Amino acid sequence: MDSSMLMAGIANVLSWSNLLLIIGGTLLGMFVGAMPGLSATMALALLLPVTFSMEPGAGLSMLASLYLGASYGGSISAILLNTPGTPSAAATVLDGYPLSQQGKAGKALGVSLFASFCGGLMSGIALLVAAPLLGIVVLKFGPIELFAVAVLGITIIGSLSQGSVVSGLLSGGIGLLVSTVGMDLITGTPRMTFGHMNLFSGISFTVALIGLFSIPQALLLIEKSGQGKKKVANKITDRLMPLWADIKTLMPNIGRSGLIGIITGLIPGTGGDTASWFAYNEAKRFAKDKSRFGKGDLAGLSAPESANNAVVGGALIPTIALGIPGSSSTAILLGALMVHGILPGPNLLTEHGEVTYTLIWAVIIANFALLGVGLMFTRMCVAVTKVPDGFVACAIIVLCIVGSFAINNSFFDVGLMFAFGLFGYWMLKAGMAPAPMVVGLILGPVMETSYQQSMLIGGGSFMVFAKSPIALCLLILALFSVLQATPLLGIMRQRFGKRSTHSG
Amino acid sequence: MKTKLLSISVLMAVTAVPLAVHAEYSVTDEIRVLQGFQAGGGSDALAQLAHPYLREILGVNFINEYIPGATGAIAWTRLSHQSPKDGTVISITNTPMLMTNYIINDSISYNIDQLTPIANVVTDPGVVVVHPDSPYQTIEDLLAAAEETPGRITIGNSGIGGDDYFSTIMVENASGLSFEKVPFAGDGPSATAAMGGQIDASFNNVGIVYGHLQADSLRALAVLSAERLPMLPDVPTLREIGYDVVNGSSRGYSAPAGIPDQARDELIAAFEELATNEEFLQRAEERAFYIDIVTGDDYMEMMKNMEETFSNIWDELDEDA
Repeated sequence: MDSSMLMAGIANVLSWSNLLLIIGGTLLGMFVGAMPGLSATMALALLLPVTFSMEPGAGLSMLASLYLGASYGGSISAILLNTPGTPSAAATVLDGYPLSQQGKAGKALGVSLFASFCGGLMSGIALLVAAPLLGIVVLKFGPIELFAVAVLGITIIGSLSQGSVVSGLLSGGIGLLVSTVGMDLITGTPRMTFGHMNLFSGISFTVALIGLFSIPQALLLIEKSGQGKKKVANKITDRLMPLWADIKTLMPNIGRSGLIGIITGLIPGTGGDTASWFAYNEAKRFAKDKSRFGKGDLAGLSAPESANNAVVGGALIPTIALGIPGSSSTAILLGALMVHGILPGPNLLTEHGEVTYTLIWAVIIANFALLGVGLMFTRMCVAVTKVPDGFVACAIIVLCIVGSFAINNSFFDVGLMFAFGLFGYWMLKAGMAPAPMVVGLILGPVMETSYQQSMLIGGGSFMVFAKSPIALCLLILALFSVLQATPLLGIMRQRFGKRSTHSG
Repeated sequence: MKTKLLSISVLMAVTAVPLAVHAEYSVTDEIRVLQGFQAGGGSDALAQLAHPYLREILGVNFINEYIPGATGAIAWTRLSHQSPKDGTVISITNTPMLMTNYIINDSISYNIDQLTPIANVVTDPGVVVVHPDSPYQTIEDLLAAAEETPGRITIGNSGIGGDDYFSTIMVENASGLSFEKVPFAGDGPSATAAMGGQIDASFNNVGIVYGHLQADSLRALAVLSAERLPMLPDVPTLREIGYDVVNGSSRGYSAPAGIPDQARDELIAAFEELATNEEFLQRAEERAFYIDIVTGDDYMEMMKNMEETFSNIWDELDEDA
């Protein structure tokens, strides 16, 4: 690490114009993130052309702070509207919305903001310290290891199904099935596309997500708007500043989730969406009282929020160290680097070190901007809650249409979004959780592709997974994760326990 | 950077005035450019680089419209079937993807006869890369290993239908060897797998891996260009060792078939002028773009040749399967 570049980077960030850009980027990111359907990736793509004329350092600082802002912003609508603003806030809904229903919207948002801040700051520091070192680890994650990661991820489905495990597994199964739509990577054969070109690249899970989470919500609002006066978008009635006592008890959870976020971000192909589910699952696993999850547990709220902001720094590590984007959002940041004539790859840290360290410092500074801007701006979201249900429902639907259209500029996607919306509405009425379906949609392609690649690399032998220590560990972990949910483990423990008492 | 940008804008201001008088585009003052891939990708990078210069030459604004999906096929179907044939709409056409899309997939309904090829602009030559510590020091080593263990040497490519996939088959056909072809979701992941040592080699493109070659995180065994590349003077071509395989990924511009001759001629003239713009060429070199401007009928011939080569390869594969 060249210390002169390190210092030049911080000097660049602390100029007035750059600080303004960072604050502006954070604010914009929060606003975009708070709107259902507009993801951080999309916001980055929209802002990218604006930064073309800026200095590379300034443009990248703004993009990075926007990314960070959007990662928090997604939780605002998750908590107040029961609609994740960004895909990575989907897990935040589970405990965030119940909290706001209990009149603790302020507390929920405050904790979410603080968790985001901690996660983001952790990952920023990790980025600064470890970018040159951790780059090497990333290369160890090939198709074989990625398959193991996906398998471990799939085991989350069981723990996400609220209520009936069977309906949760069904939901996850549908997600996996839907994820097979599109061109098969290995053979190039279109599957379940019915000859329709728009389905060749598969179903964008963002489109499915917008439909599954937002449309049923809007329809529910319309259902209710005729009868009662109950607001679904909850008000912030309590204080936003989290209590010190809460923070103290949540700290280990936030730290663990931040770590999960950094690591998930580090692995190419997985982003905030995956990390937040991982963190939520782990928070639940570590919790003493699991029954409160899904009903407004602060741990269940802070875990995904800490994780999805920690992804920002984590995902930037392979981007900067190796030129491999760790998430779809950093893929756009990488595009931004290329637009400024900076070739991705290991020379980002040497030849273009000044710009790179400006970016790294910007990520760290943007977290403080986020905390400040968040405390001021979040209260303004109360305005959203004063709008009558019918209007909110219409606004959600309009944003869903805009959001699903904007991903690929495609009206087909809008239709697809509505189809998922109606299906989601049915699921809601049938008592089936949509979250496992989304996990299936996200991890399905990763698992399938990496499995096929592993088979090609290993000559068709399953031994290829046993030969990789990383993959083996992850797969064993997945096995335990499954066994833990079945009575089998309990029986084994009982038997073992009995035998040991007999012999002893 | 600021001073450089400033000098560029001054230069543009100076050159803009006389050019604007000579070559106004007669059709419109706004050209829509359909892009079949996401904003921020390789095609977009070309657009961002070329459009400012083309704007000065033609005196029109360029409006990018991103229609990603089905590896560009959605945008190209729209170009050939649903766009006005008057020269107001053009598209960035990526070859060989433009042709392999419909060669591989019967449900894709456009073909190059429904297009007016304007100009190819960049060609990113193919390159064979390995891990820096790979036992294969030369391309001959790699081929010898494939001869010893047929079908067990793993070669990464950017996906079925991409240029690297077909390059691998072309080498197989030329040498009579067989590899285990491992498709990835793009050039980047394929290069990463080679860097991580998960595959024996990756058939990739110079523009994608150039940074890694410079930083010694990948090593090039051979290039798939007709002659050695100025940026990789020590890397042999496949032709040098006796295999006539030349392939790469190219990007250019095409309009729908049947646009007025005048519009076509004016667009072609603009790209021919672009080919002589020193500043454009220099900016392209800075970004490791390998400029390869081929216009009009020659571009059509280039596409036709590719179409023939790749459909032959695919037909053979189909027969084998």
